[in-house]
Amino acid sequence: MLQFLVDTVLRASDLALIALGLSMLYGLVKFPNVAHVQYAMFGAYVTYALQSSGFPLVGALLAGSVAAGLLTLGLQVLVFQRLLRGGPAIAMIGSLAVAMLVIAIMQGLAGSFPRMFNLPRVEPLVIGGARIAWTQLYLMGTTIVLLALFMLVLFHTRLGRAMRALSSNPMLANASGLNAERITYCVSFASGAIAGLGGSMLALSTGAHINLGNDLLLPVFAAAILGGLGNPIGAVFGALLIALTETAVTNLNFGPLLGRELAFMPVGYISAGSFLILLLALLFKPYGLFDRDVRRV
Amino acid sequence: MRSSRVPGFRRARIAAAASLLTLAGTAAWAQDSVNIGAVLSLTGANATVGEDVRRGIMLGVEHVNAKGGVLGKKFNIIIEDSGGNPTTALNAARKLATVDKVPVVMGEYSSGITLPMAQYLVKEGVTHLNIASSSTKIRQLGATSFSLVGLENFGNQFSAKDTWDLGYRKVAMIAPNNAYGQGVLEGYKAEFEKLGGKVVTEVLYTAGQSTYRRELQQMSRSNPDAYVYTAYGQESAVINREAEELGLRKTPWYAILMSMSLSDTPPAIANGQIGMELGSVQGAAGKAYADAFKAKYTEGFKTSYTGYGYDGVLLTAAAIEKAKATTPAAIQAALKEIGATGFPGVTGTIRFDQDRQRVDPPYDKLKFEGGKLAPR
Repeated sequence: MLQFLVDTVLRASDLALIALGLSMLYGLVKFPNVAHVQYAMFGAYVTYALQSSGFPLVGALLAGSVAAGLLTLGLQVLVFQRLLRGGPAIAMIGSLAVAMLVIAIMQGLAGSFPRMFNLPRVEPLVIGGARIAWTQLYLMGTTIVLLALFMLVLFHTRLGRAMRALSSNPMLANASGLNAERITYCVSFASGAIAGLGGSMLALSTGAHINLGNDLLLPVFAAAILGGLGNPIGAVFGALLIALTETAVTNLNFGPLLGRELAFMPVGYISAGSFLILLLALLFKPYGLFDRDVRRV
Repeated sequence: MRSSRVPGFRRARIAAAASLLTLAGTAAWAQDSVNIGAVLSLTGANATVGEDVRRGIMLGVEHVNAKGGVLGKKFNIIIEDSGGNPTTALNAARKLATVDKVPVVMGEYSSGITLPMAQYLVKEGVTHLNIASSSTKIRQLGATSFSLVGLENFGNQFSAKDTWDLGYRKVAMIAPNNAYGQGVLEGYKAEFEKLGGKVVTEVLYTAGQSTYRRELQQMSRSNPDAYVYTAYGQESAVINREAEELGLRKTPWYAILMSMSLSDTPPAIANGQIGMELGSVQGAAGKAYADAFKAKYTEGFKTSYTGYGYDGVLLTAAAIEKAKATTPAAIQAALKEIGATGFPGVTGTIRFDQDRQRVDPPYDKLKFEGGKLAPR
């Protein structure tokens, strides 16, 4: 049971930071940015490059997230701002192209072999019957801390209030004197940095590889949509729900139904489980689970 | 009209004559070597094995040329990369068959790639030598395909008997979800159950995932006596590491095709595993080959497949000498004759049965300790 909870929280923290960044930025730019998950991949590679050339791990992680933030900011200013003049659909297609470009460039620079971090081998932590590797524990801890910080900023600072205002009614916010452009730049950088950090910490366990972004694309979008696009806290709950579904589906023993001792759903089908949940949720609550919140924010 | 009156015609004639001479010269130069081809995994999940086999093959070519080449000419091999996927391998084979027009192509490594590639080669009438794959479907490839490697029926029999003798009665299995993995799973299960054992969980893993935790957790629910697995280098490194993290290594882990499964796993994690492997090098010839390999490449071979590449090269050279020709049909006839009597290779005596598959292939029992593979 404990292992089940641990696995759920672990999977949720893989997704939460990136889904948070995606949803937060969506609230301001109003188009789904398919390239967002590639910022995570980019951050992971930068962190790997620095750590393997001798930088301390924490410094490399920070540098990786800053690099991802700068990439996001750069792309927002140079590419997406212009594409948005043509409408959100054009911007989304453009983001697909950007995603493919980022993957191709990284593959050309870094090759197709996954790059494992050279970390000292430590025995995994054993709590109750559950086992957690230390890198996974750090990921969970960092996610929780960042989430708390984010909520603090969003609800208790002027910047957070400005973000929420801008997200709910851009024209009125502009008229009230808020500098929409500057806030969007800040948020772009922050969401990119968070995604980069999320990707780097994930890469500590799985290695930095080209498909890091693509593997996360569908679950992250599912989580963000479940929470309601534009509702960052909702995205985190969406991530939790997706993680819960995936873990439940793979741990459920269908043996008794089939007359065998043990029978499990093959792991390749778990995305089907999460998307079934997404489909069902959208059928009944089209604006995401936190319906009223989204419309208010 | 006199031709020299047409502007540029004189120049064109000289250019045409010059290019004809160059072509003739090139053609003559090309005929000074006998070319064969090979398709290997130089990039992708099995790059470690691919590079290892490439070294064995190049050593073989060097030795053949040191003894005077083939039919008095230089023996040359054209190596193409399969990229670890069937489409690229097929394109490589097509290039070797139609552009380089080689009579023999060796390769590849994974059965899922060897099968479609060899089907193409057989259709074109080109001789195919299997030097690493073990799926039993290779037997049905066709009249121009020869196998130096023992097919899975022999391998699975050996593994099943070995694990039974080690005392395991309930095992959990994991293998890749492709022709090779499915073949091993079904074959091993059939053999193990014949002996009275039981395979309590079977997992076919999808290639290229960055984590296999869920698959491992599913397997551990069945509480097996041992985990029997086979996996490609890169993915196996992930599986082994996560098995260690999940505490599953307290139960014995038995690797089928151990050097492939452990090619990219760090020694600290691989320590303590046992398994089986294709017979690497046998006898005095094998030892001489191992020494020559180490002398040329500083480190010894990392996997047990290099000997088959080496034997493939020497066997082809012998067949061409015997046939006194380089046409595919002549080479195939010569290979059949040599295979009937037996060819002394570094992997043992190579004999073919009537389906051109290796008879009595060698296997080794291995364990991993002290940072490397050792016989058990």
